[in-house]
Amino acid sequence: MDEYIVEMRHVTKRFPGIVANDDVSLGIKKGEIFALLGENGAGKSTLMSILFGMYEPDEGEVYIRGKKVEVFSPNHATAMNIGMVHQHFKLVSNYTITENIILGMETKRRIGGFLPAVDVASANKKVAELSKRFGLEVNPTQKIEDLNVSMQQRVEILKMLYREAEILIFDEPTAVLTPQEIEFLLDIIREMRRRGKTIILITHKLEEIKKVADRCAILCRGRLVGMCDVAETSTKQMAEMMVGREVSFAQEKLPASFGETLLKVEHLSVNNADGFPVVNDVSFSVRRGEIFAIAGVAGNGQVEVADAIAGLVAAAGGRIFIGEQEITDETVRQRNEHGLAYIPEDRQTWGLILNFTLSENLLLKRYYQEPYCVKGVLHREKFDEKSRELIEAFDIRSGQGEQTTVRSMSGGNQQKAIVARELDQNAPCIVFVQPTRGLDIGAIEHIHSQILAERDKGKAILLVSLELDEIMNLADTIGVIYNGQLLKTAPAEELTANEVGRFMMGVREE
Amino acid sequence: MKRQTNGSRPVKLFLAVMGDEKRQNISIPLFAICLSLIAGALLMVLLGKNPVDGYRSLLQGCGMLMKEKYAGGKGMLTDFMSYLDIWTPMIFASLAVAVAYKAGLFNIGVSGQMLLGGFIASVTVGYSDLPGIVAKPLVILVCVVAGALAGSLIGLLKYKFNINEVVSAIMLNYIFQYVISFFILTFFVNPITRQSESVGENARLTLQNVEIGGMKTVVPLGFVLALGAVAVTHYFIHHTRTGFELKAVGANPKAAVYAGINVKKNIMLAMALSGALSGLAGATYYLGYLSSIQPKTLVSTGFDAIAVCLLGNSNPVGILAASFLITIITKGGMYMNSSIGVPQEVSSLITGLMLLFAACGVYIRARLARAADRQKQEEKSMASAEDGSAPGQQAAEQTRQEEVQR
Repeated sequence: MDEYIVEMRHVTKRFPGIVANDDVSLGIKKGEIFALLGENGAGKSTLMSILFGMYEPDEGEVYIRGKKVEVFSPNHATAMNIGMVHQHFKLVSNYTITENIILGMETKRRIGGFLPAVDVASANKKVAELSKRFGLEVNPTQKIEDLNVSMQQRVEILKMLYREAEILIFDEPTAVLTPQEIEFLLDIIREMRRRGKTIILITHKLEEIKKVADRCAILCRGRLVGMCDVAETSTKQMAEMMVGREVSFAQEKLPASFGETLLKVEHLSVNNADGFPVVNDVSFSVRRGEIFAIAGVAGNGQVEVADAIAGLVAAAGGRIFIGEQEITDETVRQRNEHGLAYIPEDRQTWGLILNFTLSENLLLKRYYQEPYCVKGVLHREKFDEKSRELIEAFDIRSGQGEQTTVRSMSGGNQQKAIVARELDQNAPCIVFVQPTRGLDIGAIEHIHSQILAERDKGKAILLVSLELDEIMNLADTIGVIYNGQLLKTAPAEELTANEVGRFMMGVREE
Repeated sequence: MKRQTNGSRPVKLFLAVMGDEKRQNISIPLFAICLSLIAGALLMVLLGKNPVDGYRSLLQGCGMLMKEKYAGGKGMLTDFMSYLDIWTPMIFASLAVAVAYKAGLFNIGVSGQMLLGGFIASVTVGYSDLPGIVAKPLVILVCVVAGALAGSLIGLLKYKFNINEVVSAIMLNYIFQYVISFFILTFFVNPITRQSESVGENARLTLQNVEIGGMKTVVPLGFVLALGAVAVTHYFIHHTRTGFELKAVGANPKAAVYAGINVKKNIMLAMALSGALSGLAGATYYLGYLSSIQPKTLVSTGFDAIAVCLLGNSNPVGILAASFLITIITKGGMYMNSSIGVPQEVSSLITGLMLLFAACGVYIRARLARAADRQKQEEKSMASAEDGSAPGQQAAEQTRQEEVQR
């Protein structure tokens, strides 16, 4: 057992309502690149946050260099030469690179022999030297706000190296990088292994693991489901271990009958806030009576596709049509009126006004139309009438009926309210993004049957989901998105869950 | 069982008194008011005064209780009318804060907008010889337009350049204050009072020296307008499409975008309306309660209004009540000082405490929610621990309670 530099024994970590890690035991050898593979929410980040001291495990023990860890805090982890690059960088944007790197362990000097001051000059030199040694060239006096994402990541890596970290944890390091930048990063990681560092790579991208990792642990729903030598295992096998789970009950689905094309997306590109392209030349179309599902691992651009269609983010390029009507440059309201309904991913941030009543939320897209609003004056009694009708039809449960503040309703009922409102638009085109996120089985079933019912009514439905089961159960056509591009579009019956899963990992057709 | 009743009976009682979330909108400000009045009473006791006398003199100063003696030609009505006179701008200013607040904006520039409106109206209409019937509505119009423009400027800066409205409002306060002082001191100064020249009676919104029942008194015409403004604002916020959009933008700008509401337009609109109400406050203050402008000072009304709005839960009716109370304390403070010798600062202190406690409303609300949660949990654990005897009943009662809470 001494060969392991890090060992976790029977680690269990619970959060309210969820077991993030369930009896996970693994060992990591000194000087290897150890990959941690799993879907979103599989518990990878939680496990590594425990190692980095951010969480204390509820059960189980952690040994580092054979010594049991007693105190869990990032400071202790740093003292034990563990470093972590988080998915969201933790940098002070108006400080220089050097200032960020030395923050918390500044070298001091004394002006005139007594006035304490930070010795920036020598720190700059040290950082420059360090960056050269690992091939991570940076200009130490540049400010973080002037750097792009990949340079910021370099700073994070340098921060770990400056603290003489021997065990380096990377949390989804390639999620924000371009292919070339990824290649460069993988080179750096190899270089660090050559220098005897131990590297833990959290990722859900198989090709990266194949390229650099020595061994790989696979997590699924908090459990360790497999451990393999990367050299002896194919990406196919890894993908199967990761998504290979029993498919739950299938919805009864009527045979499809497609009508004319209704929603058409041509060469759509979307940039994120940093101007980085997250959706790249995506084209597809959805016919009446069709459920077109976009499958993909979170963060591959699928939500941005939906947001661009709904008008919540601007398209950087390409065109969007509903029927013959081009809606690319229309306002949100014009799109709604041209027949688009949208169930957003984040129901509390986008979909609802939590401090408003259920009645007001149910009418959020109709409040300005007659009979709810006549000549600028709202008719509350019409609001309430309509709301009671929707509450009845969609079985929305709340304490005080239509007068309940939405904040006090359960997540499932909040989602029902959004679905009720959007389906009530009777729009020919409906976009569902993660419609069942965080819901219990009963509510999921309910929403699934509603989606199918809308399809059978001849609506064109775009479904964005991270749940492979959901997509396999509902979709007529599946488009797999990877790195902002549609990698594969095919009728659902031509694809198996495992095939879709592999495309989601970026495995291309052989 | 005993452990719990010991610890949680006062908590339970308090929870019961404060009521559910809806009732807390009223009960928390009332609680804040009670606390501050008690604190004020303690303060008076420390100063060796009788708090009952103190509070009575506050009411007497505002013409709500009979004083022991009055000077010739004066009476309770005189005091009450002059109370209305100073209450009026406070109502407008508080409504101004509330309208912006509903849209998620904090208009700290009410005083500056008041000054701008008051100044422009003074120099354009106040010094003219227009007949009263023309001049008075003109004053109101000029103030509304000037205030609305000043407010929209803040809104414009916010949505065009993403400048925080608090920062730009504070800066504009200084700009208005000093630029206007320059003009007053250069062109319109009265060499004796060192203030701006008084506006003519024709332009003043408060009639002076009116005889009613043998008593000379002021008649603040603006007060009627203020009551109207409360009603209109209430209707606007709760019953119009624009008010609905404004509230949606304030409560969740992202969801407002999603619902197809034009957020930028609503920011501008809210600030313009807020500015217009500030302008009305300026009109009734500088051309009503007063007739001149003191250079280099901003009135405290615009800042007190923030507190009033907070205490009144930014609801127009609540604001009417809150401004009524706070004006009693500020105005009555003068008489409290002259009649029983309690320093006027004490009344300011009580106002301050009131605002402080009102500002704690969010905290109190959070604590109440937590206490209610804990109580529920305890009951739950108790019900499961006592398997058998009466848990069914308890559980039923608890779910009922839960339902009520929801």
